[in-house]
Amino acid sequence: MIWLTWRQHRIEGMVTLAVLAAGGVFLLITGLNMVNTLQDSGLGACLASHPADSSACGALGTLFLRQYGSIIPFAAALLLAPILLGALVGAPLLAREYEQRTNLLVWMQSVTRTRWLSVKVALVLGAGALVGAALMTMLIRWYAPFDLFVGKFNQIAFDFSGPVLIASTLMALALGLAAGAVTRRTVAAIFLTLALIVGIRILVEFNLRPIYQPQVVVTWPIEKGFNDPAPATVGKEDWNIDSGLLDPQGNRTNGIHCDLPGYTDPVQCGKDEGYRGHYLAYQPADRFWTFQWIETGIYLAISALAVALTFWLVRRRLS
Amino acid sequence: MSDAREMNSSETIALETTHLTKRYGKTVALQDCTLSLPAGRVAALVGPNGAGKTTLLQLCAGLLEPTSGDVRVFGHSPRQRTTETLLRLSFVAQDHPLYRDFTAADLLTLGRHLNPRWNDTLARTRIQLLDIPLNRKVRTLSGGQQAQVALALALGKRPDLLLLDEPLASLDPLARRDFLRTLMDAQLETGMTLLLSSHIIGDLERVCDYLIILSASRVQLAGDIQEITQTHWRLIGPRQEVEAVASEQTIIEASHTGRQTTLLVRSAAPIQEPGAGASWAVDEASLEDIVLAYLGQQAREQARGREKLEVAR
Repeated sequence: MIWLTWRQHRIEGMVTLAVLAAGGVFLLITGLNMVNTLQDSGLGACLASHPADSSACGALGTLFLRQYGSIIPFAAALLLAPILLGALVGAPLLAREYEQRTNLLVWMQSVTRTRWLSVKVALVLGAGALVGAALMTMLIRWYAPFDLFVGKFNQIAFDFSGPVLIASTLMALALGLAAGAVTRRTVAAIFLTLALIVGIRILVEFNLRPIYQPQVVVTWPIEKGFNDPAPATVGKEDWNIDSGLLDPQGNRTNGIHCDLPGYTDPVQCGKDEGYRGHYLAYQPADRFWTFQWIETGIYLAISALAVALTFWLVRRRLS
Repeated sequence: MSDAREMNSSETIALETTHLTKRYGKTVALQDCTLSLPAGRVAALVGPNGAGKTTLLQLCAGLLEPTSGDVRVFGHSPRQRTTETLLRLSFVAQDHPLYRDFTAADLLTLGRHLNPRWNDTLARTRIQLLDIPLNRKVRTLSGGQQAQVALALALGKRPDLLLLDEPLASLDPLARRDFLRTLMDAQLETGMTLLLSSHIIGDLERVCDYLIILSASRVQLAGDIQEITQTHWRLIGPRQEVEAVASEQTIIEASHTGRQTTLLVRSAAPIQEPGAGASWAVDEASLEDIVLAYLGQQAREQARGREKLEVAR
């Protein structure tokens, strides 16, 4: 069975390795550049001598971010790899067997369907976990310079800075398997898998992740204007989720809508109309690992459901 | 005990179904099928397209779960005792599906890895004898060669019962002959039981000694071919005396041309003087006539059923 699984999916395996290798080279080159800049500019030394307050190195940090911030999306594009893995490896895995009717061939060898599927699922998910772990390791190392002053608790870095990446890779593959067993058609399975992965991840990342624990909200009075700094209790490594102003009724709003006559300065107008102040809703940086494990749990639970559905369908249905 | 049974092969039943029924939703694919195929037989499963042949074979192979009724392969249920039956059973699905980007050698490796009873030299020499290249992708082989590779894979497993679903349908006449030759050689060597389906009897008549006629989801006739041909007769005579024959014999089919009538009659004893004894010519019926008569009978019953339905409306 192990031989068969390898023989059937060796091309997918090679392509995945090649993509990982290419991504690795890209990360290595840009990563080394960043580390060099960090040392040459003195930013590294500055951060080392002010471990508690990264804002002391503000100018150098801004320069560094301006130089390298634009490659973050390129690196983050590697996070598409797990999604593609689910759609292009997971989905066809069973769908193609049904479509080309080779299930009728392989199920008539002296191996039960359950065992056949168990070995396939174990090998493919095992390989998926390795891919996720490799990606995670590479991206964490690459991101280390950014981690020094903006932390990893933000919408992009959270995806790869812990076990969530492994779990989301497994989920993508498991959803692909289930979609293949449901549709039994390769193309349909690929699209269903993409829709499921994107749908679930948008729901999780934008609707659930910000509220795994109640957000901490700080407020402070309006003084000079919109850019009044937040209290020092909010660090750069915290995950800022929502900020703005509280209007006279205490509702959150983005700007000042002042109807009082005779004002030219909207800030002054707002203050006089009774705007209550700035607010900032955030998740403290020390919750990072709790959030990682909660999200890992969600993705693994969905994976388990998808695998269970796959087994049920394969054992029950023929074609 | 089991040894004694295997030695007396005429006693062993390779395949047995009792009141086997398979429904997909409201559609009946197979209705109340009761069969018993002795070991060592070469059986033809004949019926028109959509008669339920594939369903019956897949139920026997354990690929499908019956809606009701029971299948036994050498005494075991293929769904409950999967491992035991899988060892003794091979199934070649219609159009002999194969992994198209595998080479024939890859497929043999597959067989070796997945079957404890696998005989590699047997499967390999069979392919080499037919001059089928071992190291070319299967999808580049001809249809006949692909069928032979699928057969070699099924035979390498050394099954005691081999089920083949429409094995000849996609082959040209030459490939059909070669395929049947390989199949019958292997059957002679091992004495395994064969069950082949086809929508026409012509292909299988020379090689089979057992016949199962399946039509409209039901078994119309099953038995030893020699017995069947010895108990079916073709009668040609005057149309007005059909009633007289019907009172004594079981008429399977009657067809009329002008004043003359051709009857296909089932009778255990040879027919001496049918009806009033007048002017009937009695002949042994050919297998093809018999098959067509049973299939035609079913078609007429269906037509009558439809008429009744329409009247009822």
